[in-house]
Amino acid sequence: MKYKILLIGIAATVIFQSCKKTFFTDINQNPNVVSSVTPPLLLSTTEAALGYTLGGDFSRFSSYFDQQVFGKSQQSQTIYQYGVNAGTFDNLWPDLYTSVIENNATLMQISDNGKYNIYSGISRILMAYTLQVAVDQFGKIPYSEAAKGNLAGGSLTPKYDDDKALYDTITGLIDKGIVFLNNTDAGAITPGGDDVIYGGNAALWIKFGHAIKARLYIHQSKGNSTMANNALTEIAASFTGTSDNAQYTWFSSETAANPWYQFNRDRPGYVTFTNSPFSDLLTSLADPRYNIFFDKANDGLGQNKNHYGGLAEYYGAIDAPTEFITYDELLFMKAEATVTGKNDIPSAQTIYQNAIRTNMQKLGVSSTDISTYISANGTLPATNAAAISKIASQEFIALFLNPEAWTTWRRTNSPSLTPVSGTNGVPRRLEYPQSEYSYNTANVPVPANNNTLFTPKIFWDN
Amino acid sequence: MKRLYGLLSALFIFSAQLTWAQNIDVRGRITDANGAGIPDASVSIKGTKNGTKTAVDGSFKLNARSGVTLIISAIGFSSKEVIASSDNITISLALDAQGLNEVVVTALGIKREKRSLGYSTQTVGNDALNKSGSGNPLSELNGKVSGLTVINSSGDPGGSTYIRLRGATSITGNNQPLMVVDGVPIDNTVNNYDPTSNGFQSSGANADLLGGAQPTNRGVDINPDDIESVTVLKGPAATALYGIQASSGALIITTKKGKMGKRGTAVAFNSSVTIDKVSHLPGLQNTYSQGSGGTYQAPETGSSTSWGARIDTLAWDGSNAYAFDKNGHIVNKSNPSAKTPVTAYDRYKFFQTGVTYNNNVSLTGNTEKSSYRIGLGNIYQTGIIPLSKYVKTTFSLNGQSAISDKFSISGGVTYINSTNDKTQQGSNLSGVMLGLTRTPPTFDNSNGVSKASDPASYLLANGNQRNYRGGGGYDNPYWSVNKEPFNSKLDRIFGYGQANYQLFDWIGFTYRLGGDVYFQGDKNAYDINSRAFASGAVYLTDYVNRQFNSDFTINLKKQLTSKLSAALILGHNYFVLNQSNRFSSGTTLALPNFLDISNASSIISSETEVRKRTMAFYGSLDLSYNSMLYLTISGRREETSTLPVSNNVFYYPSASLGWVFTELPRLKNNSILSFGKVRASVAGTGKDAAPYSITTPYSTATFLDGFTGGITFPINGVPGYQISSGITTIGGGQVLKPEHTYSYEGGADLGFLKNRINLSVTAYYSKTTDDIYPISLPYSTGFAGKVVNAGSIQNKGLEITLNTTPVKTKDLQWDVNFNWSRNVSKVLSLYNGQNRFLIAGFGGGEAEIDAVVGQPYGVIYGNTTPHSDLNNIKSPLLIDDVKGDPNYGQPLAFGVGPNLVIGNTNPKWIGSVISTLTWKEFTVGAQIDVKHGGDMWNGTRGALANKGTAIETANRGSNVVFNGLLGHLNNNGDVVHYDADGTTEIAGPGLANDPKNITTYSQYYWQNIGSSFGGGQDFDIQDAGFTRIRQVSLTYQLPKVLIQKIHFTNLSLTIFANNLHVWTKYDGVDPETSLTGPANAQGLDYFNNPGTKSYGVRLNLGF
Repeated sequence: MKYKILLIGIAATVIFQSCKKTFFTDINQNPNVVSSVTPPLLLSTTEAALGYTLGGDFSRFSSYFDQQVFGKSQQSQTIYQYGVNAGTFDNLWPDLYTSVIENNATLMQISDNGKYNIYSGISRILMAYTLQVAVDQFGKIPYSEAAKGNLAGGSLTPKYDDDKALYDTITGLIDKGIVFLNNTDAGAITPGGDDVIYGGNAALWIKFGHAIKARLYIHQSKGNSTMANNALTEIAASFTGTSDNAQYTWFSSETAANPWYQFNRDRPGYVTFTNSPFSDLLTSLADPRYNIFFDKANDGLGQNKNHYGGLAEYYGAIDAPTEFITYDELLFMKAEATVTGKNDIPSAQTIYQNAIRTNMQKLGVSSTDISTYISANGTLPATNAAAISKIASQEFIALFLNPEAWTTWRRTNSPSLTPVSGTNGVPRRLEYPQSEYSYNTANVPVPANNNTLFTPKIFWDN
Repeated sequence: MKRLYGLLSALFIFSAQLTWAQNIDVRGRITDANGAGIPDASVSIKGTKNGTKTAVDGSFKLNARSGVTLIISAIGFSSKEVIASSDNITISLALDAQGLNEVVVTALGIKREKRSLGYSTQTVGNDALNKSGSGNPLSELNGKVSGLTVINSSGDPGGSTYIRLRGATSITGNNQPLMVVDGVPIDNTVNNYDPTSNGFQSSGANADLLGGAQPTNRGVDINPDDIESVTVLKGPAATALYGIQASSGALIITTKKGKMGKRGTAVAFNSSVTIDKVSHLPGLQNTYSQGSGGTYQAPETGSSTSWGARIDTLAWDGSNAYAFDKNGHIVNKSNPSAKTPVTAYDRYKFFQTGVTYNNNVSLTGNTEKSSYRIGLGNIYQTGIIPLSKYVKTTFSLNGQSAISDKFSISGGVTYINSTNDKTQQGSNLSGVMLGLTRTPPTFDNSNGVSKASDPASYLLANGNQRNYRGGGGYDNPYWSVNKEPFNSKLDRIFGYGQANYQLFDWIGFTYRLGGDVYFQGDKNAYDINSRAFASGAVYLTDYVNRQFNSDFTINLKKQLTSKLSAALILGHNYFVLNQSNRFSSGTTLALPNFLDISNASSIISSETEVRKRTMAFYGSLDLSYNSMLYLTISGRREETSTLPVSNNVFYYPSASLGWVFTELPRLKNNSILSFGKVRASVAGTGKDAAPYSITTPYSTATFLDGFTGGITFPINGVPGYQISSGITTIGGGQVLKPEHTYSYEGGADLGFLKNRINLSVTAYYSKTTDDIYPISLPYSTGFAGKVVNAGSIQNKGLEITLNTTPVKTKDLQWDVNFNWSRNVSKVLSLYNGQNRFLIAGFGGGEAEIDAVVGQPYGVIYGNTTPHSDLNNIKSPLLIDDVKGDPNYGQPLAFGVGPNLVIGNTNPKWIGSVISTLTWKEFTVGAQIDVKHGGDMWNGTRGALANKGTAIETANRGSNVVFNGLLGHLNNNGDVVHYDADGTTEIAGPGLANDPKNITTYSQYYWQNIGSSFGGGQDFDIQDAGFTRIRQVSLTYQLPKVLIQKIHFTNLSLTIFANNLHVWTKYDGVDPETSLTGPANAQGLDYFNNPGTKSYGVRLNLGF
């Protein structure tokens, strides 16, 4: 009897041991996830993540600091009054890196490996745009060693790249992206509905690439005609109408809703719109966009059919767009570059008026109102500095809620803003998040106690 | 005398001759005092090593020379010597009154004498498990076992209970002991989903429940009335045979069973009714109205705060058309329309009296060869929060039968059905306490109606929500309980089947197959106009848990010499776990008042499946010498599916030694020291990783930023995947290996004065290395973290149990038992020089429970109000010396000091006193629990101070001089102060705050300085130590004579009170509370639901 049992035991052991591999490994495969994906599945993700991050945290922070919205209560009030610390930025940073950059980097890698050239191109343009926005908000950021946490030998503590050098990196990404987009062989898989921004139109992506480069140059164009002329070259290769605008248009579903719509829905009363310095600016200019931007009757807590609080339909609706770079912004850049690069204020004035008109047409302002407004505000002063200031002030309005508005103000100090509190002026950068100080301590380029909203400035900010 | 001696001698010789003459078959039965057979009792022939063991019904057969002396011994009983005769003898053994030979159930259900153990255990009997009427077996253990921490998350019906033995050894792994019922591990996880955080938050030990509905851990399902005893195996040496699952200790639960041998049936019935009242609540001010800056603001302004006008300056205008107040609009008393003066509303009348009915009936039937027990229990509980409810029905059936002398079978099955209407809690727009306590005293959430379900309290005529913020902000708590129902239904079945075959006296086989299968179906809906989901939502979550456990053991026993005996167990274990969760969310409801997923315009479904297997071989050798020295050596080799195959094998060695030194001849029968044992053990245990920790997958993309509901794919019908934004393990050469804990334990068990005083002392040390945990990565790596082996935790502790019987006479007995324990943990290291790890909390370095190198496991980390020494929160505060600052003369605003360890959640010690005084038919019981020290972050207070509803904010306008050193922070963030002329900055803090710097407690102070919510979180660290009258009870037992007359076996009536009083410095809800529920992160209070105190009466009867 006992020998039989012993034999059975030995046999069982042998069987267990021999099927050990599948016995233990198959069961450790998660059946609810996939181990590989195709580019469309990552492009849709990357675009939405970029739209959500840009139209969400980036837009909110910049709009507090350039005073386009008013932080009325709760965290919005605290941040509006510069009451931030590194922890304040611990939601933005992971969205930027894990949702946008990591997925985009993976998309780029998969596309390059599979020779899906359109995807290779688009992912580079998207990466370039993401980095441009991030550098302009933070300065030095990790990129060359970033987004490699899952790769063999990938850095777990990515170093920070110099912000000026990153501008070159961005240019390189765009140039290489355009080469991919111009490749006659589009690749075995090409984008369509997964590309919410351009529906897979390579030509538009190329224009978008040039628009990003135009921004890079205009940012560095203060008193630098070469940069201004470079910007003009890029602008010429870029958008030719509002329909070319790079933007992410959201959907009428609560889980794919515009980030500002979500914020006003979920955080009622945190911000108001009609008592900000920005709304005062519009009032002082008798700007017809006031009622397009704002819903004064519902500001704070109210609710209208498709939006919450004081942000009206165009930017506040559930399916409102999050704008990346628009044709009207390009025209403002062109006007400014024409002043700096060509010293040609009369030509600049025409472009400037066209910029205002384009923006207002986009927003649905009546032609009568546009004419009235341009006749009141469409004349540029005779000196370069004053002209640029005026262009920038109008561009600032056209860039409502776009983080680029804050950049425009930092470059030009226009329109004039009064610091909300303290003696350090108006913020000029976002702070590095606490998570980097905690887990990437050695690499963060700014000591924790110097990590402020005011210094160090971005390299072009002088 | 001489004659008598002669006669005796003759008899002796005669009998001696007889015994010499023949060998006989001695047959008999060994029974207890009630006639029930004692299985596995030892019958041996004195002076030899021959003997046998009794069968399950207590019978034995032994070939022996007649007239020899048989020694009958059984664990738990006093041994007896009898002369062998051929008659069918029945030998009744008396229970060992002194408890010296108390039997305990150890790992794998092996029964051993407590005296033989080389490690610490403690057993809680069934009468101690049914005292509170709560029907929660884990909560009932509170204070009854030294070294066991029990924390009830709240007083909600179906609320959770966290348990931990000794200290935490894993940084993120499960640190709760394994629950084993009749030899089969059962599940004690929390299955909960918080839609406001878009995730299954607590499927693992690292639950992160900051909001959502009150969680339930499945360990509370067991009906304590079905439990015979719970033996707590505290250290690794005690549990090493169980392997991975029990590396944090084990609760060995033995259910009540019938006893073979004594014919008859018995019925036991008990019934209790308990009334629950809310115990502790945060204090609220009743002096100031809604508003800001001293001005009243009406609900429709959306004002979130109570910084308005003094209520005694306000009046109602009597308008009956005003939806927000039945008494009318609130105006200044000077206003012509003013009618009646405003008086504050009592926000806490929201709470009601909860009632619990707990009924149990059982039937036990026995025959010579078999027995069974059927138990039926029901709990019907309504909570102190309106509409919360918990109904649980348990049905258990077990039986055992001796098919032959050698072969016996047994089995049991328990079915549990429960339904739980839960309430929303915590950091959550729907949280009941959040909406309730932030309500200004000038707003009546109930709108004057008395019935909690009356829509007049929470609904406006236009269908919008009626709350103090005009429809914005947080839900009216009445809305929350009516319009945001969370119902959890459970069907659970667990049980086992077992067969024993005793081939020979010295070898037997046991096979046991057990399983635990349950289905938990949760439905959480939000009606249209709910604050978290304005367009309404329905969430359906189904959890199916299946786990099976198989143990095959070969049991060998041998009396090696007359003094040395050995027992060897060899076994094989196989464990399989399969958890399937199905989740559907429907958003944007078409119709109000129809909380069905078909009413949703957008429906998303998902599923998760968790699978795991382990397999092990194990062995244990017990050697005992002369009832004095006991040595146990065990080993287990286990393989797990969750680690890479190259690294998936664990070895668990353990050795323990017990020396009953009072068996030494010189110490034996000592009148003072009646029993003495010293013991020591060493063991190595380990844990594996969570399933799927070794791959980096893609999953459906979803983004969140902490402020908005976020984005979830698919979008517009287009799918989107993301590479795991959470955890990655691929690459970097990281190969996971087992997490190891080595522990050493030593102690003594001493009995004095015939064991009227029993003292048990245990000291232990354990060190865990290669902790498996997900390290946080800088997000710039593209990932939040990576699972690695890193880090080390050490625990040292002391446990003392003292059981005394100061008085014992015929009519009066007084027992007083003390439990005391202290555990000191220390995080020795973390991954690659990182010095801090988030266990759970709000994150971002704020209000979180962390593991910090050099600190105990589970410290509170957060931002600070700048102190004169920035990195030392014990140093004096820095008092702002910048004239013109709104906080001039006050501590600095915004909590801009460095983020630091600001509290330690671990108590210095915990203890309890349990007293039982019996006088004739009356028994008075009392239990007092003490938790000394242990901090809590009282975020509730912080938020309420900011909102101006906290009671301390009623001091607004009163003068204060803050103690501290003058100074401020310069642009570099360094401490500086102004020189005498007030212009030049000088490094370091200045002089003490001049008493002339009189400032006032202002709205600014409370919103930006004096609370976590805007100021430093160190302001809300509070000592959550307490002294608590856990329970008092008075029982009257009907005298035996009377009971027998009415043919009953037992009839008693008990009145009792739970949580009668708590002394504590903590000023929030009950200091025994946990925001994250039964998770590793204890010590956070952020609008936790309150606890209860209760009064009850219980009837016990048996016949």
